[in-house]
Amino acid sequence: MVVPEHRVSRLSAFGIAALGAALIVIPFLSSTTGLRQTSQIIVSVLAVLGVNIATGYGGMISLGHGVFVGVGAFATGYYVSDLSLPWLVAIVLGAATAGVFGALAGLPALRIRGIHLALVTLGLAIVFRPLSKRFPSITGGVSGRSIEARFDAPGWWPGDSRMASSVYRYLFCVLIVLLALWATWNVVNSRFGRSMRALRDNPTAAAVYGVDLISARVTTFALSAALAGLCGALQVVLVPFVSQDKFPAQESLIIYASAVVGGLGTIWGSVLGVLARTVVGKLGEVAAEFDGLGPVGEFFSLLDDSAFVFGFGLILLTFLFPRGLAGIRRRGGITQ
Amino acid sequence: MDYVLLLQRIFDALFNSAIYSSLALALVIIFRSTGLLNFAQGEMATFTAYIAFVLLSGPQPRLTGGGLAGLIPGVPFSIPLAIAGAVICGMLVGAATERALIRPLGGASDLALVNITIGLLLATNSLMAQWWGTGPRFFPSIFPTGAGQHFMILGARLRYSTVGVWAILLSVLVLLVLLLRHTRAGLAFRAVSISPSNAELVGVRVGPTLMYGWALASGFGALAACLSANSVLLEPSMMLRVLVYAFAAATLGGLDSPKGALVGGLIIGLSQTLIPAYVPFIGFELSVLPALVAMVVILLIRPAGLFGTKRIERV
Repeated sequence: MVVPEHRVSRLSAFGIAALGAALIVIPFLSSTTGLRQTSQIIVSVLAVLGVNIATGYGGMISLGHGVFVGVGAFATGYYVSDLSLPWLVAIVLGAATAGVFGALAGLPALRIRGIHLALVTLGLAIVFRPLSKRFPSITGGVSGRSIEARFDAPGWWPGDSRMASSVYRYLFCVLIVLLALWATWNVVNSRFGRSMRALRDNPTAAAVYGVDLISARVTTFALSAALAGLCGALQVVLVPFVSQDKFPAQESLIIYASAVVGGLGTIWGSVLGVLARTVVGKLGEVAAEFDGLGPVGEFFSLLDDSAFVFGFGLILLTFLFPRGLAGIRRRGGITQ
Repeated sequence: MDYVLLLQRIFDALFNSAIYSSLALALVIIFRSTGLLNFAQGEMATFTAYIAFVLLSGPQPRLTGGGLAGLIPGVPFSIPLAIAGAVICGMLVGAATERALIRPLGGASDLALVNITIGLLLATNSLMAQWWGTGPRFFPSIFPTGAGQHFMILGARLRYSTVGVWAILLSVLVLLVLLLRHTRAGLAFRAVSISPSNAELVGVRVGPTLMYGWALASGFGALAACLSANSVLLEPSMMLRVLVYAFAAATLGGLDSPKGALVGGLIIGLSQTLIPAYVPFIGFELSVLPALVAMVVILLIRPAGLFGTKRIERV
């Protein structure tokens, strides 16, 4: 795992080409609603990537990244509507705010390790909803608030129909996600990325080689939270409405599960995890049609719920492919 | 300061304390023997509360969820019998979980153990939502809970249900201590939780012993869920918040100390009621925040908790 993944294998090249083609074709095939849903799926890669950075590269188990998605969304909504900042600034600040929260949340991770950190982050995920209800002026309290500002296409954008705006938002999200993936790839293959992984594999040895444990851990956590926050910010771009009930603890757990199922420790894995979640969701919708097949139909209707499939998948993959979907071809244990 | 009100709040808190203590005990028994935090403990417990619910309501497919409809006995159970049935089911589920999911991993990394328990949490939660729906359901109390069902002590009301739940918890604890101190299985369990490899060398069968441990723990969890389902209303996620309190209690008392779980549960239960009552910002809904803060602080400054064993690591 210490060898940087500079070379792109043939399979990954094929996958990237297929995904790229899909990204180009999608706007021509979908309605405005479909396009928005697709954008939301693409955006959710960032949250999964955030968990991947903290857990896969940094070795700090986080069950609470839904919290940072929430912070990013609430903050962006606040900046753009209450402070009337331009969207781009609000998005960057929203992600940065989540990063700051992540750094604060990462402070306990300096001393709390492994399974205890998982416990603390799970607690964070559970406390987030009631806590956000306490600040109704920013979060809209129990019922949420809609953001008056809209992320619309600028004047030079061809066409002014709703569809044109949707396409604009879609392309914007795709661009940001690709940029974030590229930046993350660079970070994990940089000097900092290597010290991050050294810290995961053997903290003592890393410290001996001159890695500053404190700053590396806090930075890793902040970076991973900022990615999740960016996901939240883009959610506000797509749907100008924020509400605490979008961020239940289960959502954090599903984000974590997507990261693990896709494959920790590879960027590609996070994309795969989201793809898996999407495919499972679609299969579930299809399966829900088959009502009245008795026990068989009942089993299929369970597939309708991605929480069940991911829970089940998490257990299954831990036994069969500990490296997740991205690592099916390389069987073997996780280096931890 | 209104002392009668304070006493009343303490009495009210004691009920939750007992619930947290027993779930914390479940967590501690498993952590002590297997070294893992069972994040799925709450959902496993909720599942058994649904089993009790099914046993109580008799053959009504509307309530039971298709999957279990064929297994329902013809006559509704009485409440104590239904809870006993749920506890037995819980023990079987716990033992099966250890045997099927934990033992084959054979001391894998923290990450793998977290994955298994989180997977179990998600899968069980959505299974319950699928079978029984997400709406809250009324679960009868085993104790009389009517308007006049309480003792008056110094002007404050101590409910029969609070006394009852502590009576049950303490008597089960006495049984547990007797089991651990005076039976061969108990001796084996104590040996395994101190050192699995040494226990194996002197002929203790580690695997089955751990399985009994999981069964015991899940029994405690089931009891906690069945006794609290009346006050929090039965729904698939009902134990998620309770789990945070129980983890806070277990951490506070020391994750490997049963005595600590009891004391921790008491303290967390009291603080859960008293802090929101006297700190306006916290309020009822945020009462889980002090528990989380307590947990983080304990893990930071004294990871062994009040009664836990300090771990010394060689560098």
